[in-house]
Amino acid sequence: MGETWYRFRKNKLAFTGFAILMVFVFLAIFAPLIAPYDPFTMHVEDRLQTPGSNYLFGTDQFGRDILSRIIHGARISFQVGIISVGISLVAGLALGIAAGYYGKWVDMVISRLIDIMFSFPDIFLALVIMAILGTSLTNVMIAIGIVYTPIFARIARGATLTVKDNAYIEAARSIGVGDFMTILRHILPNIMAPLIVQTTLSFGFAIRSEAALSFLGLGVQPDVPSWGIMLNEGKEWLELGWWIAFFPGLAATLAILSFNVLGDGLRDALDPKLRNESE
Amino acid sequence: MLKYILKRILVALPVIFGISIIAFFLIRLVPGDTITALLGANYNEEQALILRAKYGLDQPLPVQYLIWLKNVLAGDFGISFFTKEPVVKIIMERLPVTLELMLISLLYSVFVAIPLGTIAAVKRNSATDYGASVFGLLGVSIPNFWLGILLIAFFSLHLRWLPSGGFVSFGVDPLENLRHMIMPSIALGTAVGAVIMRMTRSSMLEVLGQEYIKMADAKGVTNRRLIFHHALKNSFVPIVTVLGIQMGYLLGGSVVIEKIFALPGIGQLSLQAITNRDYALLQGCILLIATGFVVINLVVDIIYGFLDPKIRY
Amino acid sequence: MKKYLSFLLIAILALSLVACASQPAEEPAPAEEPAAEEPAAEEPAAEEPAGDSKYGGEIVITDFPFTDVKSLDPHVVSAAGEMRHIENMYNGLLRYKEGTYGEVEGDLAKSYSVSDDNLTYTFELHEGVTFHNGDPLTAADVKYSIERIIEQEVRASYFAGLVSIETPDDTTVVITLEKPVAPFTTFLANPMTAIVNKNVVEANDGSLATVDAGSGPFMLDSWQKDQQMTLVKFDDYFEEGLPYLDKVVLKPIPEESARNTALRTGEVDLILQVDAKDVMTLEKEDGIVIDSVPGSYWEYIGMNMREGPLAVKEVRQAIAHGIDKEAMNQAIKFGEATVLTGAMIPPGHWAYADLDMYPAQNLEKAEELLAAGGYPDGFAVEMIVLSNSDIAIAAAQMTKQQLAPLGIDVTVSALESGVYFEKLGSGDFELTEIGWVGFIDPDEFLYNIFYTDGMWNQQGYSNPEFDALLDQGRTTLDQAARKEIYYEAQDILADDAPMAFLYVNNQISAYRDHVKGFDVNATVTLKSLKNTWLEK
Repeated sequence: MGETWYRFRKNKLAFTGFAILMVFVFLAIFAPLIAPYDPFTMHVEDRLQTPGSNYLFGTDQFGRDILSRIIHGARISFQVGIISVGISLVAGLALGIAAGYYGKWVDMVISRLIDIMFSFPDIFLALVIMAILGTSLTNVMIAIGIVYTPIFARIARGATLTVKDNAYIEAARSIGVGDFMTILRHILPNIMAPLIVQTTLSFGFAIRSEAALSFLGLGVQPDVPSWGIMLNEGKEWLELGWWIAFFPGLAATLAILSFNVLGDGLRDALDPKLRNESE
Repeated sequence: MLKYILKRILVALPVIFGISIIAFFLIRLVPGDTITALLGANYNEEQALILRAKYGLDQPLPVQYLIWLKNVLAGDFGISFFTKEPVVKIIMERLPVTLELMLISLLYSVFVAIPLGTIAAVKRNSATDYGASVFGLLGVSIPNFWLGILLIAFFSLHLRWLPSGGFVSFGVDPLENLRHMIMPSIALGTAVGAVIMRMTRSSMLEVLGQEYIKMADAKGVTNRRLIFHHALKNSFVPIVTVLGIQMGYLLGGSVVIEKIFALPGIGQLSLQAITNRDYALLQGCILLIATGFVVINLVVDIIYGFLDPKIRY
Repeated sequence: MKKYLSFLLIAILALSLVACASQPAEEPAPAEEPAAEEPAAEEPAAEEPAGDSKYGGEIVITDFPFTDVKSLDPHVVSAAGEMRHIENMYNGLLRYKEGTYGEVEGDLAKSYSVSDDNLTYTFELHEGVTFHNGDPLTAADVKYSIERIIEQEVRASYFAGLVSIETPDDTTVVITLEKPVAPFTTFLANPMTAIVNKNVVEANDGSLATVDAGSGPFMLDSWQKDQQMTLVKFDDYFEEGLPYLDKVVLKPIPEESARNTALRTGEVDLILQVDAKDVMTLEKEDGIVIDSVPGSYWEYIGMNMREGPLAVKEVRQAIAHGIDKEAMNQAIKFGEATVLTGAMIPPGHWAYADLDMYPAQNLEKAEELLAAGGYPDGFAVEMIVLSNSDIAIAAAQMTKQQLAPLGIDVTVSALESGVYFEKLGSGDFELTEIGWVGFIDPDEFLYNIFYTDGMWNQQGYSNPEFDALLDQGRTTLDQAARKEIYYEAQDILADDAPMAFLYVNNQISAYRDHVKGFDVNATVTLKSLKNTWLEK
C-alpha cells in the first residue's frame, strides 16, 4: 500500500488529475454555496452577456449564469458517474465472477451475453436503451450502467479464472467455506487492482456518455444544468455567444482528462508490471 | 489457418443470432409505437387498430420475430413505416456516407498517429514526444461533439473555410465531398488517433528495447531502415488489435458526428428511426451496426492471426 | 439539434392542419359580387415580366421542414416540407393570390362563378393545358382529382357537403354543394387540392409518393430523399412566359447553423424560414436580403382541461395571467413576434378580435384566481414539449420559472415526436407548448382545434355556445356578419382559456440579393417560384 501511494505521488500528472477532480468534487458538493447565482434564474435583461465581471463565464439565451450552471452541472456529472459506474461495477462483478467461478454453462451463457453486448458501440446501445426508458436522469444512469457492465464482467471473469485454482481457494473450499464467502474473502481482493483502474477510467466514460446523450436530446430533461444540455443549447448560439458552448465543453474535457490521467497513474502505481511508458 | 478462421466464424455466429434477438425485442419495449408516430397529431384509436392489423403488429411477439427473422435471412428487412421504402434500400443509400466518414477518419487517425507515435518513441523525451503525449491525452479526453463544435465555430463560422455541415456525394463533386468530410473526420478520428498513437509509441518502445533490434543497431543497419523494417513491423500486432476496438468507437461516434455535421449516414438514420419509432428501420440499423462491428472484429482477428502466428489456436 | 426544429415541429403539426385546413378566409366575398364572374387568374402573360426579368438559372432552396419529406403525393401529405416539395409540380382550380394573405384567384380556372344560393360553383378552365407527360388536362381530370382527394381521406373534409361534380364539356366543371361553405374557395386554393393526371396515378398503382403527375410550372427531375430534389422548368407550362428559372433545387439541411452558412457561402440561394436569431447574424452580411411579413404561425401553451387543477377555469386563467409573454418574446424571439393578448387570430387579420384580456404578466391577479379556483398554494404539473424543438423547450423552461412564484411547480419533459404526438393526440398530458401555422379562414383557426368534436381538440375543450357560433360562422357568407360571430367566439374562447395564447411569428425569409420576384408570404409557401428570376 505504502509503496503504491509512493509510486502514485511520484506521478505528477496523475496527481494533478486527482487534484483537479477534488476541486470538481468540492464544487459539486457545495454547489449552492459556491455558485454566484441560482442556475435556473433567468436574468432576461442580462441575456447573452459576454464573460466579464458580473458573469464570469457570461450568460445564456435566458440570462442564466453559465458559471453557476457549470458548477451545478458538476453535481449531475459526478452523480451520473458514481451511480452508473456503481451499477456497472456491481452487475459486472456479479456476472464476471459467476462466470469465472462456476464455469460450464453459466460461463457459456454469460460470456455469450457479454459478447453480444460488446458488439454494440457504446453510445449507440445507450441511445437505444434511452429510447426505451425515456429521458430522465435516473434512466441515463441506468443506460450508462448497462452499457459499461460487460467491461467489468470481462475483467472480473478473467481475473477470477486466474485465481480460482490457487491453493488458498482450494483450501477454503476444502474446509467447507461456502461459495459466497469464498468469493468475497478470496477472489474479490485479488482482482481489485484492475477493477480500480477500470472504475476510474469508467467515470470518464460515464461523464462523456451522459453529455453525449443529453447533447443528442435523449439524456436528462432540458432544464437540468447538465454539461451536455448546455453544449446542445450553446451549439445554436456559436455566433452570438461562443461562451455558451465553450465553457461547459471545457469543464467536461477537464473532468474526463483528469479521470484518464488518474486511471493511467493508478494502473502504473498498482501494477508496475503493466506499466507502459506512455506518460 | 483455415481452421482458425472457421473457428472465429463459428464463435461469431451465435453472437449475431443474439444481436438479432436483441434488435427485435428491444425495439418492442419502446413506448409509443410506429402507428401512433405515423398518425401523429391525427391519432385516433380506431384508425390505429386498423393500421396495426395491416402491419401485423397485432400478432404475438414470438410470431412477429420468426416472420421477421425469416425475411431478414432472405435479405428482406421489411418496409420502413415512414418512407414506405424497403429498409435495405434506405440503409444502402445511407451506408456509403458512414463508411466514407469512417474510412477518412481512420486514414486521418492512422496517418497522424503512426508517424507521430514512431517519432515520439524514437526520440524519447524530445519536444515531439512531449507534444505527442499531450495529443494522446487530450485526444482521448475531449468529447468528439465538443471538438466538432469547436471546429465549426473556428473553421466555418470564423474563418469561413469549410462548410459547417451537409453532404455532397463523391460522384457529384469530389472536391466538395472532401471539404464536407474534413471536419467530421477530424472530430471523429482524433480520439482514435490518440489511442493508436499511444499504442504505437509504447509498442515501438518495447520493440526498440528488444535484443534483436539492438543487435541490428550494432550491426549498423541504418536508423530509418531499422525503424521501418523491424521495429514498426513488429509493433503492428498490438496496433491492429486496437484498431478493431476503435472501429466500434468510430461506428458509435458516427451517430453524434453525423448529427452535428448533418451527414445523411447510418447514425443519423438510426436517430431518425428512434424518433419516428420506425421499428423495421431501427431494427435494420441495429442489426447492421452490431453485425458490422462483429464482422470487423472477425476480420481483425483473422488479420491478427496472419500477423502473429503464435496466437493461432 | 433541437434548435431549429422547433419550427419544424410546429410546422409539421401545423401543416398537418393546414393541410387539412386551408380555408378561405379571405373573403372571397362572393356576396359582394353579384354575378361573380370573376376575372380569375390573371391572364397568363399578365405577370408583367417587369421588363427586366431574366430567364434561366438555377435556384437552391432550403428550409428546416425539408428534412421531413416522405411522400410526394399531394392528396396524402400533411407535413410542411412535403407540401413545399410538391406545390410547384401541380396546379389547382384556384390558388392563393401572391402578395396577399389568403386572397383567392383562378389557377387552372380561367374564371369561375358562384350561384346566388352559394351552392353551385362553375369553373371555366384554361384551354390547352397539358400535364408534364404531354397528356391534356381536362375537366375529367378535375373530377377525378377531387374524387381521389375524398378517397385518400386526408383532405376529404374539404368536400364534406359535396352533392355532385359535373363536366358538361372538357373545360367546364360544375361543383354542387349541399349547404353553403364559406371557406370553400380557400379549400380549393390550397396547393394540395392539386389536379393530378389519372394515367400517371394508375401507372403507379394508385400512389404518387415518388412521382410527378402534375401540370405545374416545374417538373420533377430527380429526388434523392434527404439529400435533394431537383425540379426543372416545364416548357409547355400553360401560363405563357413562365416560369423564368430553368432549375429549382430543394435541399434539406437539418442544422440551422449549417443552413445559415450555406446561404452565406452561396451554396443555397434562399432559406424559406429563418428565425429572429438568424436575422441577427444574417443581416450583417453583404448580399443577403431579409424579408419579413406578418405570419400565420402562432404558438400557445396548451392546457388539458379533462381533469385535475387544469379542469378549473380560474386555474387556467391564472396561468394565462401568470406567464410573461413579453419576456418570452424577448428571450426566444428577440422581440420580433407579436404577443397575443386575447385569442389567436392575428392582428391585421379581418377576423382579429381586440380582446386584450391578458395584456401582461399579472401575478396578483393570478394568485387571486388560483385561490378562487381552489389551489391557493399552487400544484405540481408536467409540461411536455417536443425534444427537437428548441423554441418549445425554451418556452417551457421560461414558463416553469414564471409560474414558480405562484406555487405552480412545472416539470418539463422533452419527448420524442412519436411519444409526444401520441400523448397530445390522446389527451394524455397536462401542459404543452407548440404552435400551428398556415391558417387563413377563422374557421380553420378555430374549428378543428376547439369544436367539441374537432379533429385536433387536444385540450378537450367543449362549450356548446362556442360550437354554435362556429357552426353559424361556417355557413354564413357575409364577412361583416362572420366577423361578429368570430369576435364573440374568440371572446368565449379566451375567457375559457383552454390555451394561453403566446404570440404570432413573422414569416421571415432570407435570400441572396440576386433572387428577384420571390413572394414572402404569410402562408409560408414556394408557390411564387414561377415568378422568381435571377439577376446574375
